[in-house]
Amino acid sequence: MATAGGAAPPAMDEKARRTRDLLASFYNTDPSAAAGAAAPASLARPSPTAAPASPLDSINSASFDPDIYMNVLVEQSNLEGLLQRHVKMAAEIKNLDTDLQMLVYENYNKFISATDTIKRMKTNIVGMEANMDQLLAKITSVQSKSDTVNTSLFDKRENIEKLHRTRNLLRKVQFIYDLPTRLNKCIKTEAYADAVRFFTGAKPIFEAYGDTSFQDCKKASEEAMDLVIQHLQAKLYSDSEPIEARAEAVVLLKQLNFPVDNLKSNLLEKLEDCLLNFQNEPTQASIGDISKTFRAYLIIFPDSERRLIELAQALFSNRYETVRENLKKRIPSTDLLAMLRSLWEDATAIDEVIPEAALPAFSLETTRDIIRQHIATAFLHLQSEISEALVRTHSTSNEELEESQLQTAMEASKIKVSQGCIDLLQEFHHLIDGNIELLVKLRDLIIDWVQEGFQDFFQKLDGHFHVLSGKSKKKSQESTMDSLQIDKVPTVLVLMLAQLCVYIEQTTVPKVTEELASSFFGGGARSYEYGPPFVPGEICRLYRSSGEKFLHHYINMKTQKISKLLNKRFTTPVWIKHKEPREVNMFVDLLLLEINGVVSEVKQILPGIVRRHRHSDSTGSTTSSRSNPMREDMLNRPNTHRARSQFLENHLAKLFEQKMEIFTKVEYTQESVISTVLKLCLKSLQEFVRLQTFNRSGFQQIQLDMEFLKTSLKEFVDDEAAISFLLKEVNNAAHERCLDPIPLEPPILDKLINAKLAKIKEENPNMR
Amino acid sequence: MQGGSSGIVYGGLKYQASKQQQQRLLEPSRTTCLNLFLLSLLLQARCIADVRADAGSTTFLAGTLSLKEENEVHLIRLSPAESELVCDGLFYHPNEIWDLKSCPFDHRVFSTVYTSGEGYGASVWKIPEVNGQSNSPQLEQLFELSGHTGKTRRVVWWPLGKHDKLISIDDRNIFLWNIDTSNKSAKVISQGSADMLPNLRGGAWDPHNHNSIAAISDSSLQLWDLRSMEKSTAIEHAHIRDVDYNPKKQNIIATAEDEFGIRLWDLRMLKHPLKDLPGHSHWTWAVRHNPEYDELLLSAGTDSTVNLWLAKVSSDDSESDSPSGSPNRQEEPLLNSYTDYEDSIYDCLGISQALLAEKMNLARLSILNRCCIFEKCSGKGLELYDEVELD
Repeated sequence: MATAGGAAPPAMDEKARRTRDLLASFYNTDPSAAAGAAAPASLARPSPTAAPASPLDSINSASFDPDIYMNVLVEQSNLEGLLQRHVKMAAEIKNLDTDLQMLVYENYNKFISATDTIKRMKTNIVGMEANMDQLLAKITSVQSKSDTVNTSLFDKRENIEKLHRTRNLLRKVQFIYDLPTRLNKCIKTEAYADAVRFFTGAKPIFEAYGDTSFQDCKKASEEAMDLVIQHLQAKLYSDSEPIEARAEAVVLLKQLNFPVDNLKSNLLEKLEDCLLNFQNEPTQASIGDISKTFRAYLIIFPDSERRLIELAQALFSNRYETVRENLKKRIPSTDLLAMLRSLWEDATAIDEVIPEAALPAFSLETTRDIIRQHIATAFLHLQSEISEALVRTHSTSNEELEESQLQTAMEASKIKVSQGCIDLLQEFHHLIDGNIELLVKLRDLIIDWVQEGFQDFFQKLDGHFHVLSGKSKKKSQESTMDSLQIDKVPTVLVLMLAQLCVYIEQTTVPKVTEELASSFFGGGARSYEYGPPFVPGEICRLYRSSGEKFLHHYINMKTQKISKLLNKRFTTPVWIKHKEPREVNMFVDLLLLEINGVVSEVKQILPGIVRRHRHSDSTGSTTSSRSNPMREDMLNRPNTHRARSQFLENHLAKLFEQKMEIFTKVEYTQESVISTVLKLCLKSLQEFVRLQTFNRSGFQQIQLDMEFLKTSLKEFVDDEAAISFLLKEVNNAAHERCLDPIPLEPPILDKLINAKLAKIKEENPNMR
Repeated sequence: MQGGSSGIVYGGLKYQASKQQQQRLLEPSRTTCLNLFLLSLLLQARCIADVRADAGSTTFLAGTLSLKEENEVHLIRLSPAESELVCDGLFYHPNEIWDLKSCPFDHRVFSTVYTSGEGYGASVWKIPEVNGQSNSPQLEQLFELSGHTGKTRRVVWWPLGKHDKLISIDDRNIFLWNIDTSNKSAKVISQGSADMLPNLRGGAWDPHNHNSIAAISDSSLQLWDLRSMEKSTAIEHAHIRDVDYNPKKQNIIATAEDEFGIRLWDLRMLKHPLKDLPGHSHWTWAVRHNPEYDELLLSAGTDSTVNLWLAKVSSDDSESDSPSGSPNRQEEPLLNSYTDYEDSIYDCLGISQALLAEKMNLARLSILNRCCIFEKCSGKGLELYDEVELD
């Protein structure tokens, strides 16, 4: 049918389906199920008008009602439609007829062939019965004959059997009597296996009849066997014997019920000693020997595997332990690498012998730990080195501040940080480059650790800086001892820390980042929910803020100190009964000394600005110069005016003057820090003045001191405008708080200042 | 005498109550300065006090500090209707005023600490009945707190109402007085002397405990028990300039220090502060809690700024709070900084009155979460801010 043509398949399908349907409906016991799909529809809608779409479907169902069908058809279709339906139906009926004929024909054919087959079977069976009868008769005759033969031969056979048994017994007795000599022979030829076999064969007899006539024989053979055992033991213990022979000896000994376990434990103890030796002095034996021994033992004592595994593991864990011990003191990466490499090689060698010990996995894990620890200790060492460098400088140079000593210390710690980081990176580089199989596996992990390590290191270093500076609360919480120490934190150290922070932020971190990017790319063996392990941006931020904190802390500490000095100066004397100023007050010297200290510290540690001409730093430089003459005028004006007008004028002047920016942002430059310290000190000075009430002489004293300060401070700062503004402010404050503000005459002022200058020169002739 | 809106001069003093509406609601910042009253004195003033006893209106007392001029005490009222500052009274004070405190239960009584030449003194005064005609009525001196040998520093009232005790502090002694304003008498009940040159400079009375006072000296903060007149505990090694108790929470105290800025302490755990605020560029001179919203702190400094801080202190459940707030949520404690002053600022105070706040806020038609008004006392003026925090 498939060859019927291209257009055939749909037609054939159609036809086949119809046939199948017909057959199905024919054979189906429950025709309502086949028509179930159509029947409910027509039942649910009994009204003929309601089911116009299903007359064709319901024609095959059991509930088909030809009358309704006809009615529906006639009502719904026109003549043409009816005719068409007629033709179609006629064609369908014809089709059904032919199908039916074909089915009948096919079934008939099959029936005919079946009857033929049955007929043939019947004819074949008829001749068999006679043959079977014949066969039965022959078999019965054979059986009777064999019975007669059997009975006639029975006696003879019994006789033969008895004779045979006797002979065997005799042979055995003979064997036992021969046994000692045979054994000796075997010993001579070293055929111990035979000896053991003979002896074990004879052993039951000895056990049963040993007390009777065999006694001598038994004794002799037992002696021989003792000899055999001794020989076997010797063989077992001797390393020179081939492994197979030794293994055989063990087997034989076992057969002789010799306590082999003792032997085994002895031997293993020996091995343990040997391993211990190897551990202590690795040069004595090579790992090859050890692995050979392992192999031998494995063959000799197949049941000793567990113990051997334990031994091997103990050996390696001990060796790794020693490596770990080494880690505690810092060792270079190359050394560590060499150690690890040899260990790894040993491990693989042993692994070939006993894979069950899982040595490579063990060493991988241990190596991972060790490398991790190594990285951690390396960072820790660097941190302690840096802090040592920092602390050393201030402890050695606490009193006499030698010139440039601080500077060198600063440079040294900078280099320490930078070089330390680079060195570390190089060391870690070795770890990655070492192309041991082991390390290749760990490469990604190592990269991650290094990055993580740097992140952690920088954070820890920052924390450490805070502890050093005494600002960390955590540390002070730990014990009260530290709080005492914190009081002694040298200010220089804080400044150095500030500068170091800047250096790390601006130089070291970029360098490290670059280095990491170039040689430690990849990584990410572990999934990071929090992004990459090393975040330079975060570190930079951290250090920037820390640096600022330290700088402010430094300035704060310095101004605190000066503030204390000023406090003493202003609270102790009774200003209202002050005597006439004779000379510049002592406190000015102290103040200048402090400031000198600051300047020398700052100059050594912070970078200077070359552009000295930059005088327009402060916004008030022009304004104050503009307001200067006015104020000068006011101060020098004779006291004819009433105080009120002076006050108003003062106020007015202030109104017109641009606001002086005293508290500008601090930068990491000498000038900025120095001028900030100075400004804060002068501001404090002003506030102290405001709290007092002065008489005329007190006011004049302040005026004199300020005037002197003005000349002396000039050399420190480039922000002169702000300083002179603040000095003026102090003067004004004293003026306000004075009952009788008459300033000193300029000539007297000059004279006193010059006297002071001369005195300074006299005291320090070599100063400048 | 009552408030002109601008530029009325009384005897060389000029009040300028100007109202500048700065409606910058569109500004992205959280806090918006809505209203600004400026009242500038032409005399220096160092102290200002909130008249708490006067419940009906918001009034302040300010004392001037002038060596050569006649000193005055100003009674200033913030009139709610016109939203401006009005000078209700001006009284001459014989000496320059270093400290001024209003009596918390009688709005007409206040105390001053003053210097006259070399001497220091402290007195309690009563404002006389104002009858419109009298131009500058005399203050009635109820009694003088005499008996101090050193420099008198501060007079402290019990902050929360009627209490017949008063404390005065000089540079080495603390006196506890029993006062009777109607009889104009004061008696020393007990006296405590600090040992070894403590140089006391001020103090604050615990509003939650009658018997406890915090006194500050050059190098420490000392807590005194008034029953035994002895020092109980102390915060050592702190250069404290001002101290203020939290008005709502017990045992919380704020200090202004030279070295560490503003710090908040729990008096039960004096080893470590609860919180650090950076403070000012120069000295932080004063720190005050807002009486209504104790999380708001106001500080004044000699760097000519007034800072408004938000410092949340949860004394006990701080642990449970912190994990929920991620670092990003952590708010910047400094809410606002008011910088346009010419001179150092020595005193400030936060005030809050529900009535007033309500009125102002309704007028501004803004959604309000918190409201605080503060006033500060600078070297050269008084300024009143209405600080409105928008949600």
